[in-house]
Amino acid sequence: MYRFAIALLVAFHFGCGSTGAEDLVLMAAKAYTAHGPAIEPAVIVIRDGKIAELGAKIELPAGAHVVDLGDAVLVPGFVNAYSQMGISGGSSELTRELTPDFEVLAAIDWESRAFREAVDEGVTTVGISPGTDNVVAGIALAAKTHGKELRRRVLRPNAGLVMTLASDPRSRNRSRSRPDSIYVRQPTNRMGVVWMLRRAIQGARRDESASGVLAEALQGERRIYCVSRTHFDIETIARVAEEFDFAPVIVGGEESHRLAELLATRKLPVILGPLRTSVAAGTEQTDPVWNRAGVLRQAGVQIAMSGPSLLEQARFAVRFGLAADDALRAITCVPAGILGIDERVGTLQAGRDADVVVLDGDPFEFTTNVQAVIIGGAFVVPPDRRTREPGEANQTVGRHAAGSQSRPAPQRTQSGPNSP
Amino acid sequence: MKHRSTTIPLLLWGLLTAQIAAAQPLAIKAGRVIPIAGKPLEDGVILIRDGKIDAVGKGLAIPIDAKVIDAGGKTVMPGFVDVHNPSGMSQANERNQNVPFLSVVDSIDPSRTYFKESRRNGVTTAAVVPGNSTMIGGQAAVVKTAGRYVDDMILKRHAGLKISLSPGSNASRMSHLANLRKELDKARRAVKKEDEEQREKKDAVEKKNAEDKDADQGQADRDAGGVAKPGASFNAASSAEQQLAAMKSLLRGQMSAFIYCQNAMDVVQAIRLTEQYKLKTILVLGQDCYRAAQEIAASKLPVILGETLVFWKTDPRTGDDEKIVVPKIFHENKIPLTFQINDTSNATLGSRYLWYQAATAVKYGVSVEEALESITLRPAKILGVDQFVGSLEPGKDADLVILSGHPLKLNTWVEKTIVGGEVVYDREQDQELRGLLDPQAD
Repeated sequence: MYRFAIALLVAFHFGCGSTGAEDLVLMAAKAYTAHGPAIEPAVIVIRDGKIAELGAKIELPAGAHVVDLGDAVLVPGFVNAYSQMGISGGSSELTRELTPDFEVLAAIDWESRAFREAVDEGVTTVGISPGTDNVVAGIALAAKTHGKELRRRVLRPNAGLVMTLASDPRSRNRSRSRPDSIYVRQPTNRMGVVWMLRRAIQGARRDESASGVLAEALQGERRIYCVSRTHFDIETIARVAEEFDFAPVIVGGEESHRLAELLATRKLPVILGPLRTSVAAGTEQTDPVWNRAGVLRQAGVQIAMSGPSLLEQARFAVRFGLAADDALRAITCVPAGILGIDERVGTLQAGRDADVVVLDGDPFEFTTNVQAVIIGGAFVVPPDRRTREPGEANQTVGRHAAGSQSRPAPQRTQSGPNSP
Repeated sequence: MKHRSTTIPLLLWGLLTAQIAAAQPLAIKAGRVIPIAGKPLEDGVILIRDGKIDAVGKGLAIPIDAKVIDAGGKTVMPGFVDVHNPSGMSQANERNQNVPFLSVVDSIDPSRTYFKESRRNGVTTAAVVPGNSTMIGGQAAVVKTAGRYVDDMILKRHAGLKISLSPGSNASRMSHLANLRKELDKARRAVKKEDEEQREKKDAVEKKNAEDKDADQGQADRDAGGVAKPGASFNAASSAEQQLAAMKSLLRGQMSAFIYCQNAMDVVQAIRLTEQYKLKTILVLGQDCYRAAQEIAASKLPVILGETLVFWKTDPRTGDDEKIVVPKIFHENKIPLTFQINDTSNATLGSRYLWYQAATAVKYGVSVEEALESITLRPAKILGVDQFVGSLEPGKDADLVILSGHPLKLNTWVEKTIVGGEVVYDREQDQELRGLLDPQAD
């Protein structure tokens, strides 16, 4: 019902006004910015797809369209730091184990349903990495989950270099019986995986003037992500990283809670893989521990979450012991920072992209629904219905009108001619 | 002889203490009682005697000999009822597609993780039902989630027959349904024949009685309606007879039918079978069955939703993506909801928990009261055990759950689970949970 009302409101907003570049103003009961204290009530002025201003009391710009979201709570659009979202076909090159200059950009179907699903859950930005079957897999990117123009949708085509130090690269040898096969793959155990990685790094190091992707990454020009889940894999990559003096982001980290101290002192951030609530062991026989996030955070490790149902994962993490504000940061500004796009997304503050999730209640309750999602200042959920049902502009907007009366309205000195 | 002299006193002592323990009343002082039947009570008291609820109310006098559980500030509600789950048994499906005489009771292992997890999550009653890929898969049983032996746990032994409308991997839908009908028809003929024979016998007896008033009435009584207890007839010698006996009790309405519908077209078939064979049907729905919501609503049959409540699908022709919110669709069609839970690895994060399923329904517009009923009293009614469980009312079994707060809030945990007046789960004693939440402690 609430969502329907919003759809009407959006239709109203677009139906009456021209589609020009006038300001959009969101008013809601509360906003968690992932940057400073919560703002209550919250007013956000959006100009040219960016947040122009936000606060509890703001003088509204002339001619602005005001969308009153009533009791809604606003949070920054969520950032999923690590995924294989939208990759069409295989996500790993199976004829080679070291593919540092492979770019995931070439493999993504931008129309994939996965992006629609992500937007619907409030995920507005996503890090996309090649798969985990190669020792050095290639170059990850960071992109918005919605947008017609690809050039604007990709925030960073080279968000980092992805490598895997886990059981995946050693278990893909499909040609044990056919040594002449093009699919013959070398590492068949963890030692082989590490040996290959070392050799590749040494190769890149040896040539001082190397301009290769790996060399750049080692010189700190590029983030290095390393997929490692078990505690011994994490220890190994920490050792290799110390040896060659780089600072990887640990991805997966299912047993990272055991190394919380080490990760904190070495300042290695962790992108946690999907949270499991099962009490059974994981794919690599990892410990089923529910409060990894809480343990890591308590030790001072930077954590981000990844995987499907990001908000739901954050909710369960809170249930299991992570502080609510840390949980919000773990799905917004921290992953944005890891992906190197925190100047654009991850927080609600002036100058950032207007990527906003509208919730119908406390973010950390299972009964709270995502009511609307705004990316770059445009309503993506519910879909923009400008073209479909312009006639609906004349209908009344039930709950919003009631919502705006039930709480002290922010100062609205110069509300636009079309504001409800 | 020597042995007996020691065992008898021991046995007597055991009996005595058991009796004392059973006789000691239990009183729970609750911050809030949600009885499901009736309005929530603030600061209510629940009195329990002999494993049954004696009284629920405000300001009740607590017997002086009662053991008191102080749940001040906490919420007490009936234990949750898991309405359909094969997880309590060891192997849910049979290779033989026609095994109506099998009973899950022979396969229930009280020490399974499922039961432990159930108690931890406030589930006190569970229907253990055979899986979805056997045509006539055997008989379900309703059990309590606590007990040392399966016999201690059974609440209803012959709770229903599982029928699947989804054909196995090497059968077509046509042959699957034809086989099912063949079995049902066979049973129907047998029932008819039996009824006729009994009528004749009765007539003969009456005739004989008229002639000889000293006739042995008892024998005739015993013969008449020989299938009154479904279990009684299962001692039949051959498996063909066993099969028939089980199917007969299904057609006589002594057992309900859990009919699994994989997709919407199966729902229509299930409704048709229900009408034709006068079955007491419970629809077990796959996620695609939302398309038949209107037909389900019109049939008024009880439904059990699959564990996936929200999913996406793409129209193969137009390529349009659509988000399907199953509880919303059913709620809009005024169909009372019940939920399944599942612990498989591909399940969504919360679909292991009944309270999470209820919270999801609330998220999409179902009222809290309705959602709570759908995990307690409604499943109990569907399973035909609502005279024992499902709500906090005098006379019902003392199966309840003490929660740290509102049942659907994020930070609420099951503090204690009580089955038959006995505490069967206590969060303070739950070392495994402590390990999951605080791995550094050990």
